[in-house]
Amino acid sequence: MSSERVDISLLNPDASYRGASNGEALPAHASPTYYDRPLLKKPHWEWEVVTYLFMGGLMGGSGILVALADEDGGDAELARSARYVSFALAATCPLILIKHLGRPERFLHMLRIVKFKSVMSMGVWGLILFSAPATAAAVAQAADDGLLPGWLGALAPRAVMKPAQAALGAFIAGYTGVLLSATAIPVWAIGKRFIPAFSVCSGMAGACAVNAAVLTLTGSKPATLAKLERLELVASLAELALLLGFRRHAGDLGKPMYDGPRGTKLRTWTLGAGIVVPALLNLLPVHARWKTLLASALTLAGGYVLRETLIEAGKASSEDPKAASRQPE
Amino acid sequence: MGNGFFTDTTLCIGCKACEVACKQWNQLPADGYEFSGNSYDNTMALGGTTWRHVAFVEQPAPLDRPPTENRWLMMSDVCKHCTHAGCMEACPTGAIVRNEFDDVYIQPDVCNGCGYCVPSCPFGVVDLIAHADYTDGRKFESDGRTHDDATQTTGGIAGKCTLCYDRQKVGFTPACAKACPTESIQFGDVDELKSRAKQRVQQLEARGVHSYLYGVDSDSSVGDLNAFFLLTDHPGAYNLPERPVLPSTHQPAGYASAALAAAALALVGFAIFRRA
Repeated sequence: MSSERVDISLLNPDASYRGASNGEALPAHASPTYYDRPLLKKPHWEWEVVTYLFMGGLMGGSGILVALADEDGGDAELARSARYVSFALAATCPLILIKHLGRPERFLHMLRIVKFKSVMSMGVWGLILFSAPATAAAVAQAADDGLLPGWLGALAPRAVMKPAQAALGAFIAGYTGVLLSATAIPVWAIGKRFIPAFSVCSGMAGACAVNAAVLTLTGSKPATLAKLERLELVASLAELALLLGFRRHAGDLGKPMYDGPRGTKLRTWTLGAGIVVPALLNLLPVHARWKTLLASALTLAGGYVLRETLIEAGKASSEDPKAASRQPE
Repeated sequence: MGNGFFTDTTLCIGCKACEVACKQWNQLPADGYEFSGNSYDNTMALGGTTWRHVAFVEQPAPLDRPPTENRWLMMSDVCKHCTHAGCMEACPTGAIVRNEFDDVYIQPDVCNGCGYCVPSCPFGVVDLIAHADYTDGRKFESDGRTHDDATQTTGGIAGKCTLCYDRQKVGFTPACAKACPTESIQFGDVDELKSRAKQRVQQLEARGVHSYLYGVDSDSSVGDLNAFFLLTDHPGAYNLPERPVLPSTHQPAGYASAALAAAALALVGFAIFRRA
């Protein structure tokens, strides 16, 4: 007999538990769960957070589109639309997030510290940093469009704004996935290599969709629309591949996301209506406004359902004590 | 090393004096009257306003075994005050700090109720406290129940055991440990508690009771627990994780995954838009 510790990490829950230093087994009729009550607490995030995850993807993706658009080569309308879209979203998102706080009047407490260990702190600062070039570039664009005094246009040189919007936009589109993965919720934690990536892809596809819709309604060169549709197709197919890969990787832990009514909704809206149908529509050799608008609307709906499913799956996953007991490494 | 709890479950008699003392001292609201049907446990879980929870694990022996093998395990659960605390790392406001007693403490005047600490606790301890003024009538779940009333002036924020920070400040023992009639809950210097706990494991072993310490010399990413336990069954039997993982360990893979996807899409986008 010795006072040797028992290493809980080496515990094999499938074997009869050997808790004592002499290796004798404890009674085998031990219950593996506590009345099947949840081990973890349920995230309280509701539609505001779902909406933010969705809008953050569009915002970040639009920031990347600002930089991608070849303004001198005929994509000037796209650059303009992406600037306005990312500014409008950067102006709205903080309001939604503040509304969702338990104590909204304390929202400024988010700015007390910069904390690299906290993904949410990084996100807050990323959002603030992103909104600076997004606002400056939108003001300059409005000046160029004659909506604001012309001298304002000189305040935001494009050579500086474009890379800033692209880099910070990529961060905004991706960090929300990291935020979910860096929790104890089994279905989120097991998805650390997939959720951030498909969040970026879905955000990019959504940004292409929303800007394609704006351009369809306000008029642009067909060549620009064709480029947007091509990028949207690539991003959507990457998202599809990652969603299928995540299902395979997550195994039983992925059930809250892929099984039951939630899985049916994900397959119908995100995989079917949000990815496959727009892809087929974009491949149709028809050029019509209704086609672009329909494909955009379906892509956006699919992106929203993806975020909603993620949050709801996390809540369901938190209620499974067996999944929570052996947390994904 | 700081102060913590050693909860020896073999001494717990399930009187719930710790729960009551905690509620009284910290002026926390009652949990309501709900029968769970799960042994004597109607508290059911820790929560935003329930900082001690006595678990009752009934284990009747199979009929072919002698009745002396029946077991009724009781365990007073509490915030673990981890060495590497998931809640503290997640907190974006810096409201959750490690105080001078090495305990994890939520500053109630700083927390803004973002809720990120809640899914970031691998033990499911911390939860949000309802605040009717700020939830536009929406009900928050806490302690496994739905509350629709403002509970106290500190509502709308996260709540969990403070390890009686205020009592420690003036040299008092935390309320639960003070109230425990069997010294199942012992308060003191963590190192001293650990050596006492290891002796206790040996002592029990000599009497033929197999036990182990949960949260001591752990190689889990949450590190050792400042509030650790002596258990006689699987951690899962007490609703403790067999393998707690510090959530921030998922960040490198997460950021890498996002960066890869963004870089790949940017390259494809560049090829599409700037090929001409």
